[in-house]
Amino acid sequence: MQPLRIALAQIAPRLGDLEANLDRHRSILETARSEGAGLVVFPELGLTGYLLQDLAAEVAMRRDDPRLIALAAAADGLSAIVSFVEESADHRLYIAVALLEEGEVRHVHRKLFLPTYGLFDERRFFAAGDAIRAVPSRLGVQLGLSVCEDFWHLGVPNVLALDGAQILVNVSSSPGRDLAATNAVGLGTAASWQTIMRTYAQLTTSLVVFCNRVGVDESISFWGGSEVVAPSGRPIFSAPLWDEGLFTVDVDLADLRRERIALPILRDERPELMARELERIVAMRADLRTADDTDGGPVSQARRPAVAGGKRR
Amino acid sequence: MNGSSATGRASSVAARAPRFELPAELAIDAAVARRVIVAFIRGQLEQAGFERAVLGLSGGIDSALVAHLTAEAIGPARLLAVLMPYRTSAATSAADALDVVRGLDCASEIVDISPMVDGYLAARPDAGPLRRGNFMARQRMAVLYDRSAVWGGLVVGTGNKTETLIGYTTLFGDSACAFNPIGDLYKSQVRQLAAAMGVPDAIIGKAPSADLWPGQTDEAEAEFSYPELDRLLFWMIDRRRDRDELAAMGFDPAFIERVERMVAVSEFKRQVPPVAKLGPRTAGVDYLYPRRRPGSARA
Repeated sequence: MQPLRIALAQIAPRLGDLEANLDRHRSILETARSEGAGLVVFPELGLTGYLLQDLAAEVAMRRDDPRLIALAAAADGLSAIVSFVEESADHRLYIAVALLEEGEVRHVHRKLFLPTYGLFDERRFFAAGDAIRAVPSRLGVQLGLSVCEDFWHLGVPNVLALDGAQILVNVSSSPGRDLAATNAVGLGTAASWQTIMRTYAQLTTSLVVFCNRVGVDESISFWGGSEVVAPSGRPIFSAPLWDEGLFTVDVDLADLRRERIALPILRDERPELMARELERIVAMRADLRTADDTDGGPVSQARRPAVAGGKRR
Repeated sequence: MNGSSATGRASSVAARAPRFELPAELAIDAAVARRVIVAFIRGQLEQAGFERAVLGLSGGIDSALVAHLTAEAIGPARLLAVLMPYRTSAATSAADALDVVRGLDCASEIVDISPMVDGYLAARPDAGPLRRGNFMARQRMAVLYDRSAVWGGLVVGTGNKTETLIGYTTLFGDSACAFNPIGDLYKSQVRQLAAAMGVPDAIIGKAPSADLWPGQTDEAEAEFSYPELDRLLFWMIDRRRDRDELAAMGFDPAFIERVERMVAVSEFKRQVPPVAKLGPRTAGVDYLYPRRRPGSARA
């Protein structure tokens, strides 16, 4: 199998300046094409900048926005993963990431988890996505798209892999914080991300592609450090922290098959077991059922214990 | 309690006494901090459409460090350092500040604030040190903003995290700025970064002071040591330890209580003044934009 050349566009978008960022994307696509890339990945909200607040509504695009379609046309011959503010037909705003292929917006993933803790306030400005789907691509493998915080929830990479994704792509605008001299890169955030990406690659036996932005929005600095991690959990490429750049990485997709044959943990997953247990836990957390109630029978108000509090353990 | 402290010195000068004490848990990667802050300064100016910066240079470590960082970000020729002594300021303060100016080769001006300060205070002999100090800080702010208009640069803040948290600042005085590069660094971390960036030893080694009267120092006035205060604030604020947990770590309960109070009492200094909510969209409440957005840059 021909190696796949992945181009990571570790850029610093201009906050709120859609036109400038579209130009930048077009020129990077051109460069990536000339360098023989098959897949080009841009960071979270690469088309708009991250800390938009009320600007979000002003830079939002529908999926069929002519500017997005024109960008898809500019990506012809490539698989391009770009991120923008999506406005739905009923005017909800999403942090979205799109797969552009063959002149089309082939797939849009809407960010599922919108953090509001610490320095984050995403849920105030955006609606949360409701779907996790692997998507077929012209590359001959299925892709699993996710956005930043989505990767801080174990279920997301797991469901994407179970749905058939072989390449898990996470696009991020991760603010650097927790300057620590105690780890190799001197930054708590970067060390945490490296740990989870390597773990997910190994546990889903998938290729993990992480594209994180650089630059500054207001108070916060984004640290870059984009990565490609092999299905064995071994990092194949790590981009420098803080620097802008278009980094190309060659990966052998045959490694995916080899890893999954040698380590068939994805084959051995028990989604039906997980679904059953999750259903029980969901009911329990909603106080519809007790912890003892493990027979998998129907959940109803009638099964609720008569005594307040029930037999919780 | 400080058994795990690192000392702030390079290995090449290991024979010398450490210039300052750096509690181990506060140690940062100075190279990363430098990188982030320099890019932050560039980003702030660029987004606002400015190429120049101005700051008040006191001869103390905070403003010396910010001068070094700003000079690295935009080049010393675009930085104006303004020295604003009062007639009772220590002569060493100006000498140390001029050392920084010479070392960086940046532009500088000296504005003696004595006439303007005395012009107001002469008729108010009842004004004690606190009022006098605050008034001077606000006069310096007024001078700085006037010089910034002439120089065509943004005012860079020089307040550190320690003094901001305990409220050891003058509202609309030394805390006034367009942006602050070191407001998230404790004093001990300011020292660590200053040493890494080549701020003169004399400045790093001397006792921090508001320089309001001869011999005044922050630590004597407030009865704390910076490394001890920094450690307490770090565990209290950044690591969310409660009073009992802090006491169990060895911090004196009376010290904990005093610092908690200083932090609480000064909350108002760290926030934008509230606007009475009346209309459908109110600045800072439900009209929320980035400070610098497309169309906001100076032409």
